[in-house]
Amino acid sequence: MNGTAAQSGLPCHGLGKLHGAPLHLVWRTTISSDDADELRQLLAECTLGNRRAFENLYQRVSKRLFAVALRCMNRSDLAEEVLQESFVRIWHNASRYDGNLSAPMTWMVNITRNQAIDQLRKHREVPLTEEQADTLFDDSPSAHEQLDSQREAQALQRCLETLEGMQRTSIITAYFQGVSYADLATQLAAPLGSVKSWIRRGMERLRRCLES
Amino acid sequence: MNYQQPALRRALAADYAIGLMPLTARRRFEHLLLDDPALRAELAQWQTTLATLTAPLPEHTVPDRVWHAIEARIDPQKLHIPAKRPFWNWLRITAVACSLVVAIIAGALYNRDTLNYSATLMAANQQPAISVQAYSHYLNVAPLTLPSVETGRSLELWAIPADGKPVSLGLLPAHGKGRIILSESQQKLLGAPVTLAVSLEPEGGSPTGQPTGPVLYQGALAGL
Repeated sequence: MNGTAAQSGLPCHGLGKLHGAPLHLVWRTTISSDDADELRQLLAECTLGNRRAFENLYQRVSKRLFAVALRCMNRSDLAEEVLQESFVRIWHNASRYDGNLSAPMTWMVNITRNQAIDQLRKHREVPLTEEQADTLFDDSPSAHEQLDSQREAQALQRCLETLEGMQRTSIITAYFQGVSYADLATQLAAPLGSVKSWIRRGMERLRRCLES
Repeated sequence: MNYQQPALRRALAADYAIGLMPLTARRRFEHLLLDDPALRAELAQWQTTLATLTAPLPEHTVPDRVWHAIEARIDPQKLHIPAKRPFWNWLRITAVACSLVVAIIAGALYNRDTLNYSATLMAANQQPAISVQAYSHYLNVAPLTLPSVETGRSLELWAIPADGKPVSLGLLPAHGKGRIILSESQQKLLGAPVTLAVSLEPEGGSPTGQPTGPVLYQGALAGL
């Protein structure tokens, strides 16, 4: 398999490279509960075959889902394919969305990320570096400053900071790359047992922190 | 394994959510999910936690072609033809009228290129998509409900003779309607019973000489 193909082209989309305005936008669109209600309504209309609602939904969330696909695929052409497939699925499976279980954005992010890691597993073109895995949550001062501007962002940052470095790295690597425990152990040059424990403890800690 | 043990359920849901479960275990877990609403709720909690990891990603502008491709996928019979201005319509009618006159005169004068065969190519859902009329030296192709093709792709027309090896007849005109001139060997090929098929290929046609993309439309060529 081609081990370098996916490396070219796109810059990493780490927090350290964010500019202020888009970040605010991201947080408003993901956290606001009013927004979740509207998305829920749009999904409900999609189940009735309302194409206008679907287009509206696309306008509202495609930029964010594209970011997720790009983060996983690292190449815009592959990310576009993932995004296309994800929206076709959202349209056909809108009736499967269960509003009691999760927020609409969580559901759609999950569809996109599943599509992406399915593709990655098929091609396995993206060798991951620790550096890449860390770029999402790097510790540069600018990242802190930008995050500090929003309360919810602070919560995430605080929770991520409670994780040990390897817990954070292994969770982010597994989530965005869809690798196996064995791959993770190889990539992180660590024993399988350690990797499993980083993932388990790190995820528990992250969830409890975000829920508190 | 005792799937009722809360700690185990929570750990399994976590492994499934982050994508670290091996394939067989994944299938088994999905099976459990079907009849276990509490497990579905547990999984949703993990998915919510993990989706938080995507929140700081900067939004990205999506090229328009993605939306067009989605539209074509969910509604493949829609024709994506820009609105025409009346002026062009008049021009077109005049042009068609002129060419008809020319064609009739030319036909009467030479009466060489007679209509021999015709075919209606169907999409997978049995909707007629393209009409093909085979004359001695060329094919007339007209779209009935042909969806637009994304940029960078072409539609290629193939003749599939009884022995089964497709022979390219050339690319469909960019907007579907037009004429494909036949070479002598192609003319001979259409003398025998053949199936016509249209496949989606890279721009400029199949690089291999055989169909590489999906067959979108097909139909038998029938004598008149």
